Amino acid sequence: MVDTQALALVLAEPFMQRALIGGLLTGALGGLLGSVAVLRELSFFSDALGHSALLGITAGILIGVNPTLVLIPFAVVFAILVNQLVERSSLPTDALLNIVYSTSLAAAILFLSLVESYRGGIRQLLFGDILGVSSLDLIVISILLVAALIYLCLSMRAQVLLTLNQELAGAVGVQTRWHRLAFIVLLAVVVAVSIKAVGVLLISAFVVIPSCAGRLLCRRFPIYVFVSSILGGTCALLGLLASGLTNLPSGPSVVMVQFLGFLIALILSSRVFRRPSTTALDPQI
Amino acid sequence: MLNPVLVVSDLSVERSGRLAVEKVSFELQSESETAVVGPNGAGKSTLVAALLGLLPRKEGDVQILGEQLSANGDLPGAIRSQIAYVPQSLALQGRFPLSVAEFVGFGFDPPGPRWPWQQHRQRSTAVEKALDRTGCIDLRNRLLSELSGGQLKRVMLSFCVVRPRQLLVLDEAQAGLDVPSNERFQQLLLELRRQEGWTVLHVSHDLDMVRRSSDQVLGLNRRLCCSGSPDHTLTPERLVDLYGPNMVQYRHQCHG
Repeated sequence: MVDTQALALVLAEPFMQRALIGGLLTGALGGLLGSVAVLRELSFFSDALGHSALLGITAGILIGVNPTLVLIPFAVVFAILVNQLVERSSLPTDALLNIVYSTSLAAAILFLSLVESYRGGIRQLLFGDILGVSSLDLIVISILLVAALIYLCLSMRAQVLLTLNQELAGAVGVQTRWHRLAFIVLLAVVVAVSIKAVGVLLISAFVVIPSCAGRLLCRRFPIYVFVSSILGGTCALLGLLASGLTNLPSGPSVVMVQFLGFLIALILSSRVFRRPSTTALDPQI
Repeated sequence: MLNPVLVVSDLSVERSGRLAVEKVSFELQSESETAVVGPNGAGKSTLVAALLGLLPRKEGDVQILGEQLSANGDLPGAIRSQIAYVPQSLALQGRFPLSVAEFVGFGFDPPGPRWPWQQHRQRSTAVEKALDRTGCIDLRNRLLSELSGGQLKRVMLSFCVVRPRQLLVLDEAQAGLDVPSNERFQQLLLELRRQEGWTVLHVSHDLDMVRRSSDQVLGLNRRLCCSGSPDHTLTPERLVDLYGPNMVQYRHQCHG
C-alpha cells in the first residue's frame, strides 16, 4: 500500500522533482536509442562506452577540469576510435570491445587511486546520483531527446536497412558509413550525459532492458521505438518514486523496475502474442 | 537499338588485401538477363558489390544508365533509385519487430532523409500491389523474422518491385527456393523485363536455370573466363575451364 502522505512529501522536494524529470527523460532517451542499438547488436558497445567513461572522468579530475565537461568529448572520440578499430580489425567485435573497455576501466581505477580527494566519490560514479541532477542537466537531456527523436524519425529507413543488410542499404542510396557513425556518436553523447544520473555500471541497462521488452511486445517498427522509449521513461519514473519512498539507492531501484517490466513483457509475449507457426502450412512455399 | 544499362570496363577490385576481380569488362543491354557464374570464391559477390558502389575499385570504370560511378561509389539519387538489389540474406537474429509491409514500404521511399508519414497513402497502395504481384499478400502482417528462407526471398523481390526500376541485381536470390517458387520467381523476372523494360543481372549457381532464362552468361573466376550466350558459354569444355577438371555438369532430368 502506497503511503500517500510520504509520496506527497517526496514529490514536494525540488531535488526530487528534478530527479523525476531527469529520470523520465534519461529513461526515455535510453529506450529510444536502445531500440536501434539492440537490433544492431550494439548493446555491448553501450556497456563498453559506459565503463570507459570512467577514464574520461578521471582525465577531467587529473587535469583539474569539471569531469562532466570532459566526458562528452571523451565519449565521442572514444566511440569514433572504437568504430574505426572494429571496422579495420579482423577480430570479433565483442572481443575488441572487451579489450578496450577492460583496459580503459583498469587505467581509470589506477589513476583514480592516485587522486586522494575523489576516492570517496567512486560509488557515485559507479551507480550514479540521480538526486544530484541540475536544471542545466535537464535542459541538455531534453535537447538530446528532441535531437535523437528527429534524427531517428528522419533516418528510420536508413536505420532499418542498415541493420538488416549493409549492402542492401548502400545499394538503395543510404550513406551507410555516415549513418553508422552518426548513430554511434549520438549513443556516446547520450551515455556520457546519462552517466551522472545512472552511473557507469548501470548505464547499459537503460539502453538494453526497455528496448528488449519492447522488442518482445511489438510487431511494427515505429511502435517498437515508441514503446521502448515509453517503457524506459516509465520504469525510470516508477523506480525513482520507489527509491524515494523506500530510501533505497535510485539507480539500482530503476534497473530493478526495468527488469520487472522485462519479465512482464516476456510473459505477455509468450502467452498473449504467441502465434502458431504457419510456415509449414503456407501453400506457396 | 537498345541502350546499354551497365557498361563495365577493365574493372579490378581488391578484397581483404587480394585481387578478387581482375580486368573484367562487359555490357548489359536493356531488358536483358545476364547471369554471373563461377566457383565459390571466384569474386562474383565482390563484382556485384563493386558495381553497386559498395566496394572501392582498384581500377576501371563503371557506367550505370549513362552515369559514371564515382570513385567512392556515389551515383546521383535519380540513378540510384533506378537500381534494385536482392542480397543473399538479411540479418534477422532473434525477433525483429518489422512487418513485411513495413519492409517493402522502405523500398518505395527514395534515398535521403524523410518523415515516415510522407506519402503514406501512395506507399501503402504500392506495397499492396508489390506484395500481390510476388504472391506475398498473405504475408503482409507477418514479422520479417517469422518468414522461411524462401518467403524472405520473395519478400525481398517485393521490396524491389514496389517502385519502377531499370536495373535489378540479384545475389544468389533464388537459392533456397523450391521448384514452384523458383518458377514463379523466374516468371516475374521475365514479366519485369518484357513489360517494364527491366534489366537483370544475377549471380547464380543453378546452371540449368541460367541456361533456360539468361541471354548472356559471364563465367567469372577472378577474371572473365568466358562470356556470351548460354549455348556458347555453358559447354563442357568451358565449364571445366571455369570450375576446374572436377567439374561435373549436372542437369535435372526433367529439363534434360
